[in-house]
Amino acid sequence: MFGLALRNLQRKPFRTYALALAVAIAIGAVFATATIMWGVERSLGQGFSKFGADALVVPKGAVVNIKSALLTGEPSTFYMKGEYASQIRALAGVAKVTPQIFLTTAAGSHCIVGNAFLVGFDPKTDFTVMPWLYQKQDREFGGGDVIVGGNNNYQVGDVVYFYGETFTVFGKLDRTGLGLYDNAIFLHIDKAYDLIDSSKKYADVPSMGFARGDVSTLLVQIGGTAKANLIRFAIAKNPDVRVVTAGNIVTSVRQNLTALFTGTVALTAVLILGNVLMISAIFSTIVNERKKELGLLRAIGARRLSIFSLVFSESVMLTTFGGLIGLGLGLILLRIFARSIGFHLESLNIPFLWPPVFHIVLLGAGSILFAVLMGALGSVYPAIAGSRFEPYDAIRAGE
Amino acid sequence: MVELRELCRTYQIGDQVIEAVRDVSLAVEGGEFVSIIGHSGSGKSTLLSMIGGLARPTSGTVLIEGEDIWSRDDAFRSDFRNARIGFIFQFASLIPTLNAIENVALPRTFGSRRRRAADEEEAIMLLEKVGLGERLFSYPNELSGGQQRRVAIARALINRPALLLADEPTGDLDEETEAEVMELLLSSCREFKAAFLMVTHNRAISEGASKVVRLKGGELQ
Repeated sequence: MFGLALRNLQRKPFRTYALALAVAIAIGAVFATATIMWGVERSLGQGFSKFGADALVVPKGAVVNIKSALLTGEPSTFYMKGEYASQIRALAGVAKVTPQIFLTTAAGSHCIVGNAFLVGFDPKTDFTVMPWLYQKQDREFGGGDVIVGGNNNYQVGDVVYFYGETFTVFGKLDRTGLGLYDNAIFLHIDKAYDLIDSSKKYADVPSMGFARGDVSTLLVQIGGTAKANLIRFAIAKNPDVRVVTAGNIVTSVRQNLTALFTGTVALTAVLILGNVLMISAIFSTIVNERKKELGLLRAIGARRLSIFSLVFSESVMLTTFGGLIGLGLGLILLRIFARSIGFHLESLNIPFLWPPVFHIVLLGAGSILFAVLMGALGSVYPAIAGSRFEPYDAIRAGE
Repeated sequence: MVELRELCRTYQIGDQVIEAVRDVSLAVEGGEFVSIIGHSGSGKSTLLSMIGGLARPTSGTVLIEGEDIWSRDDAFRSDFRNARIGFIFQFASLIPTLNAIENVALPRTFGSRRRRAADEEEAIMLLEKVGLGERLFSYPNELSGGQQRRVAIARALINRPALLLADEPTGDLDEETEAEVMELLLSSCREFKAAFLMVTHNRAISEGASKVVRLKGGELQ
């Protein structure tokens, strides 16, 4: 029966190849989209798993700003009292707390690093910046030093200048996938407070907006056995602060990326639905074209199930063939779009990591399964219709 | 072998009820050649299709080898047709994508007796018997009308049927080919000891039939 189905497909090569190509386009889109989405998820997961902080405490009203700062590295400034650090540190289950303060370089000749995002951090308590050091000078980090994110062009030993002071690039971070860490320039928190005084030397530089001791965020690491949610609730009892977790940032990013891909997914869904309907319509026509032949097969002993299998397997063979072409097409699409997607994600400061080969193979197998399902769904109605013809009526078709 | 009891088939077209076959009762013995003759529209093909399990009678009974085929389910009838009945139709009834051997062996695909190599051997033997030993791998579009009919005869015989049903088997053939095909059909039935029921509007080819029955307006005359 499979042999007969295969011969039937060879009967009208143009129709077969045209249908297979239509399926291939849909499957190629499914495969490429799924692979890219998986890659993005993986890239995000990798970035946040290395982040180290379980929660960020920010001033009330700054939740959106911190997410944007973290993800895109877009300079953002907001402040709260630094004394919250000791309150949080006192909570049972909290392992580490470290402050960071956000400031930006000023426009004009006092700063030569452009519109950079400066982050003051405390090297004594830090657990999220120093672990990312990829290159560094062979000495202790000092007040006159800065550490640059992985996306910066500065090299270790370079000199940068802002607020009238020069700083030496002490080290460079590895790329993290978090915009803040990849783009910012990190300096000692005490030096950041000193810049308040430096900035006052220049009449054209606006006031910094924070006082010594203020912080922008407190990064919290929760002990291994502590119940993270209870601690988050305890911190959130303070009405002036909000707790942001890595998890809900990932969710937020995922939502943004989902929006980014929704168009593609919707288009793919329409393509698939269109293909299923097209297959159904074409196979209905094929069944009617071959009504006499189907009647003849019934006359010589084919059961209804055999006729169903003949039409069904012909359709599934065709879409599977289309699916295989689609895989090749998907791989070409991935190659073509890798750079453009890579650049887009680069602009979001999200490095793109391809899924492991095994997962790509799985996605490929899943896409083929999709193609099989398209053929199966598309042919169910015509196959049933073909199997229900009364043999005599079918034989006399066209008379 | 075959017994028909008050067989009827009616069609409804709009409000009009058409009685294609009316109260036909007939008995055919094993190895017997029965010719059913009548004009176009007399109900011959409809009668044959009911006997062959292809069209359900409105009423009446078809007994073949004692089996009331219309009281059984479709799967049974399919298997029964495959194993016990051979069909030869008026039209060139070959599958265009299969060559002569594959067309002849096709009924074995649906039956429980499938053994690919043996099936092909038997198909070749039958094709040689019908004089097509040189055209084993030819496709239907490479064969003449008479040769296609010979392939169809070989296919009808591959499962050694007890009953051979032919609907105008020489309808579109020239006189010479018609005689050859008829000779082949009759000799094959004799060899396989099959009952042979043929419907035709051509009285001349009914010569040699042990029984000739005439159908007019759906009724036996």
